[in-house]
Amino acid sequence: MNALSKFFQPESVAVIGATPKEGKVGRAILENFISRFKGRIYPVNPNYDEILGLKCYKSVKEIPETPDLAVIVVPAPQVPQVLRELGEKGTKAAVIISGGFRETGTKEGAALEEEVVKISREYGIRIIGPNCIGIFDNWSGVDTFFTTKMRKPPRGYVAFISQSGAFATALMDWMAYHGIGVSRAISYGNKVDVDDIDLLEYLGEDDKTKVILMYIEGIKESRGRLFIETARKVSLKKPIVVYKAGKTSRGGKAAASHTAAMAGDYSVYKAAFKQAGVIEVESFDEMMDVVRIFLDQPLMRGNRVYIVTDAGGVGVMLTDALTNAGFEIPVTPPDLKEKLRSILPPHNIVENPIDLTGDADDERYIRVLELLANREDVDAIVVVALPQIPGLKGTFVDYIAKIKEETKKPVVALTIGSEISIETAKRLQEKGVTVFESPERLAKALKALRTYSLHVARFKGL
Amino acid sequence: MTPREIIRKALEEGRTKLLEHEAFEVAKYYGIPTPNAVLVKTPEEAYKYADEIGYPLAAKIVSPDITHKSDVGGVKLFIKNKEEAYKAVEDILTTVPQKAPGARITGVIIYKMAPPGVEVIVGGLRDGVFGPIVMFGLGGIFVEVMKDVSFRIYPISTEDALEMIDEIKSAKILNGYRGQPPVDKQALADIIVKTAKLLAENEEIESIDLNPVLAYPQGAMAVDVRIILKQKG
Repeated sequence: MNALSKFFQPESVAVIGATPKEGKVGRAILENFISRFKGRIYPVNPNYDEILGLKCYKSVKEIPETPDLAVIVVPAPQVPQVLRELGEKGTKAAVIISGGFRETGTKEGAALEEEVVKISREYGIRIIGPNCIGIFDNWSGVDTFFTTKMRKPPRGYVAFISQSGAFATALMDWMAYHGIGVSRAISYGNKVDVDDIDLLEYLGEDDKTKVILMYIEGIKESRGRLFIETARKVSLKKPIVVYKAGKTSRGGKAAASHTAAMAGDYSVYKAAFKQAGVIEVESFDEMMDVVRIFLDQPLMRGNRVYIVTDAGGVGVMLTDALTNAGFEIPVTPPDLKEKLRSILPPHNIVENPIDLTGDADDERYIRVLELLANREDVDAIVVVALPQIPGLKGTFVDYIAKIKEETKKPVVALTIGSEISIETAKRLQEKGVTVFESPERLAKALKALRTYSLHVARFKGL
Repeated sequence: MTPREIIRKALEEGRTKLLEHEAFEVAKYYGIPTPNAVLVKTPEEAYKYADEIGYPLAAKIVSPDITHKSDVGGVKLFIKNKEEAYKAVEDILTTVPQKAPGARITGVIIYKMAPPGVEVIVGGLRDGVFGPIVMFGLGGIFVEVMKDVSFRIYPISTEDALEMIDEIKSAKILNGYRGQPPVDKQALADIIVKTAKLLAENEEIESIDLNPVLAYPQGAMAVDVRIILKQKG
């Protein structure tokens, strides 16, 4: 059992600083647990006998068992005392939501934080936080995200580790809106103990997590090498997507050597990500595109992309974007050409991009896609499905999905347009065909999939 | 002397930068190709070793107190025979004390000048988060203006190093252009891997610059090695 499982699969939880007062963090967290957590819940607050229908305890000592997990919401000066009581009780995992520690920049704050570290070591309590929003676990119902106006995303397979609590909240909300399923999200605040590396290790073993997304600003001093080793190990099991913020180099540093002058923080991180097999994304759009493609698509075994389109222009745009991203758009080989000729009307273009033209219908798409899906010399298929043309019926979405289901290659789609296009995209997406609106974004996401596939092939063999 | 002894000696003498011949020796210990070099104290010694080292020779003053050697008459290049070597060292040893009074003089390093090649830079640095890291880039304008460099974190394999070399934007220059043959990337990768090892095994070293490394169709050589030690305390 991983050292962190008590955080994510506790059988009981104590919420220290729980309160019935509307609008308070201690109430929001308690409500979260009540609504979805299946284990036993112990509110702790000396001022109440009962909160939201649960018996409330005066102190940690009074709790009738050793809670697996403690969530601490009391003011910072009280935290050391609470932590000590938890230690005496035998609790081994604590999320400290409270702020007022090192982040304040004050001596008192730093001293309190040091005390927290000392007590946690003394009793062997693992800590997430302080000054954090903690854990949102969509499977176990451990949920300390006190952001009550955040929509909760559906259960799913994307895990998110975030150095920023506010960004974690916003992203959960965004993913809820876009219907992307989340397994667990963690924001660790001041990270006095549990950090990115511990979480990577845990999520690597987690069968509810298929893609790990990370937002980081920096890794702890001297932990870089371990980050690379851990990420490399985990990356062979599931993709890790990283957005690194704080890319501008540390200015004004006296440079003793050429190398020092060149080595901005970011360039070193870039190298680390590459060595770790972590996929780095450079924008929010790219982050979500890459996450979506990893969720739905198999590894890409080669570099050859075939495009099937009902719009010549978009086929050309895609050819440019994919070529710039380093893909090959092969010339249709003679045997395939012959087969395509035999099934397509003479005005269709059998060169790659294969253009089915504006009078295309479901049948035409399906026959071409079937041909491509079974060929060894096709590594990925991009279907341009502009649904505005008259010949396409609703069923063509199901055909694409069926082919995607059966083939072992990535099949992605591009649609552009109004409601009709968005509707098509939504239906394809639901069936596991990753859909894009922009050729450039499609190419970038596919490139990430290819990069990751190469990494896996290099270290594990395909 | 082993790298350990060289570093200890420098630290004992309060120096945070290794002298040229010391840096060469440390590099050589790790198998990084450097010019054949000897530290001499007198013109007679230069005369004695010149033939053995080979020509053309360069002679440079070695002093912990002098940074800009040519400004004080401390550099002589393209020495063709042992008589010239004698004269060059004699000149240096008389001119430098006049132009840089009070500077400590360790000696004069004489070494065989390397034939021209493609100039690249290999560097190493200790990073607070990641530990030893290495850098690769093309010399001159490419590094200074374009900042066209790549990094890796120790430990690295030869494969990683080759990837680093191909990763820089100006990598095409290494593949040969205008009829030039391609450079020996394997030899460069080898130097990068050894630089990483050197840095990892000597905690006291803060940074190392091999600048330039001359890359040839066969082989490569670090013609200038700069090793900076950590400030004590």
